[in-house]
Amino acid sequence: MKTGEGELDILAIVHNASTRSIDPTRRPIARGEGELSEEDVFARNPQLEKLLRTEFQALVVGYVRDGAHRFYLPPRPARLHAFVYLCEPEEIQEFSRSLDFLSILTTSRIASGDELVSACLRLASEAQPDKEAFLVTAGKELSLLLGREPQRLNAILRRLRT
Amino acid sequence: MSLDLSKIISQVEGLAAKLQRDASLREERLALAIRTLSSTDLESLRAKAKASEGKVTWLVAGLGDGLDLHFSPQELPTNYSVVATDGSHIDVDRHMPPPCYVINIGGVVLRYGESPACHLLSEPTLYAQENDLFLKDPRSNHTQAIEGALLGIKRTVKECEMLGELLKEAPHDLPTLALLDGSLILWGLSGKEYQDFVKQEFLEKGLLKAMEAIKETDHAHGLALASYISFPRNTDVVNCLRLSLCPYEPVADCDRFCGEKAHGQRECDGVSGLTDRDILQEILKAGERSAVFANQSSIVREHYGDNWIHFFYLNVGDELARVEFPGWVEERPELVELLHSLTLEQCHKGQGYPVSLMEAHEKAVISTQDRALFTQMLEHALAGRRIPAVTSAKSNSKRIRWT
Repeated sequence: MKTGEGELDILAIVHNASTRSIDPTRRPIARGEGELSEEDVFARNPQLEKLLRTEFQALVVGYVRDGAHRFYLPPRPARLHAFVYLCEPEEIQEFSRSLDFLSILTTSRIASGDELVSACLRLASEAQPDKEAFLVTAGKELSLLLGREPQRLNAILRRLRT
Repeated sequence: MSLDLSKIISQVEGLAAKLQRDASLREERLALAIRTLSSTDLESLRAKAKASEGKVTWLVAGLGDGLDLHFSPQELPTNYSVVATDGSHIDVDRHMPPPCYVINIGGVVLRYGESPACHLLSEPTLYAQENDLFLKDPRSNHTQAIEGALLGIKRTVKECEMLGELLKEAPHDLPTLALLDGSLILWGLSGKEYQDFVKQEFLEKGLLKAMEAIKETDHAHGLALASYISFPRNTDVVNCLRLSLCPYEPVADCDRFCGEKAHGQRECDGVSGLTDRDILQEILKAGERSAVFANQSSIVREHYGDNWIHFFYLNVGDELARVEFPGWVEERPELVELLHSLTLEQCHKGQGYPVSLMEAHEKAVISTQDRALFTQMLEHALAGRRIPAVTSAKSNSKRIRWT
């Protein structure tokens, strides 16, 4: 995803999403008994839309300024109320021309970080004209980054198959 | 920890043991109540109740179609709306300057059916003017401070006024349930504690005016106003049974016949200690409502007029609730049926308590943290204008808590 600020678009990879009660002291309960679908649960309990919030967490992996991609932290964080957008396949393709962002992912300390690396590469490969060649290049890049951690490297590589 | 639990535990055990001992007596009373409920001749009871008006010391329910009737809910309308409000307040704190109080009203407008929607809101108001804090009798120099229990009454009026405002915004082309929490009877104003100008302000110019405005709201498909009482402790129906058990004919005159008898010795004490909930629980199946009764309290008789409070009990599955509504709802059977089915559905959606009232409460409630922040905000506002905020030594000692 990216922030659409114009002069500086910050690029980030969503690594976590959760839907919870806006009021942390109120736990959501199991619903849907007697309903046919999840949509029915919301239709019959219209207050839920106002009481639940979905939060996304994203890891910043670079930014675009004047059309040029940079694969390190931007000079400033995203604005508080900056709008965010899903990147289009063309933008993903453009961004993954370089695999420099992999070092940020492999060194991040987020939970299930390695799952994120492989998921991210699988998604990026879908936007490439030659998916197989992209994954091979990415695998080589990973072997450079994780050469000293063969178990980790293998775990990620095994998950690259779509 | 200042409550010594080791000292109170034996007292708690004593209480539990007493309840266990009383259980069989209670069973006997319940059995007598159920027998009386189904065997009482309604017409004779009605005649006796009329003849004994003002002579019985119990609040006896006004009888409708019967005592032990039970009705199943009708089918829900496809599209309908539910509007509810609830309130919370920060009372005047005499240890803190300046004198003021806050009423926070939470509201919810829910639309069910083909175009489901929900609107939640809360509306806090700070009251600090002279006429907010004191009610003045226009005919004398008497004044009444609005705080404590009276502030609770003012809050009920504000909840009903807000309900009226929300009903104006709610869809007018749908059957609608308008719900309040607690009783529609301002019990706090009954008796002689408050003078007439106070009753005038909060009843005639307050709650009853707001209820009247709701009645006048243009709702082509029916609007049922009601209040919901969870775990009610009323005994209006039990007191009908007391009258039925009373051997003195044709007039039951408590002072004359039983004035000198000790509690427990009167013939009607056979149903003593029971509530309406206890006995109707035995009769109403899940989802069913009782017959409609009228409240006969003096405050309702003297003040409520068209808004005369009626009620039924409703088995919502988890408990027996009391639903109170004004006379203008009772007069239209289709509104009573709407009230029955929509209130029940609200309870199903809310795990045993109307979901609209639950959400209105959530929007109204003022947490301990919010109360502290409000006090802080008030102090900062005063300090910002260099107004000294002198608090009591007692208040300071409670806030600082030193050793």
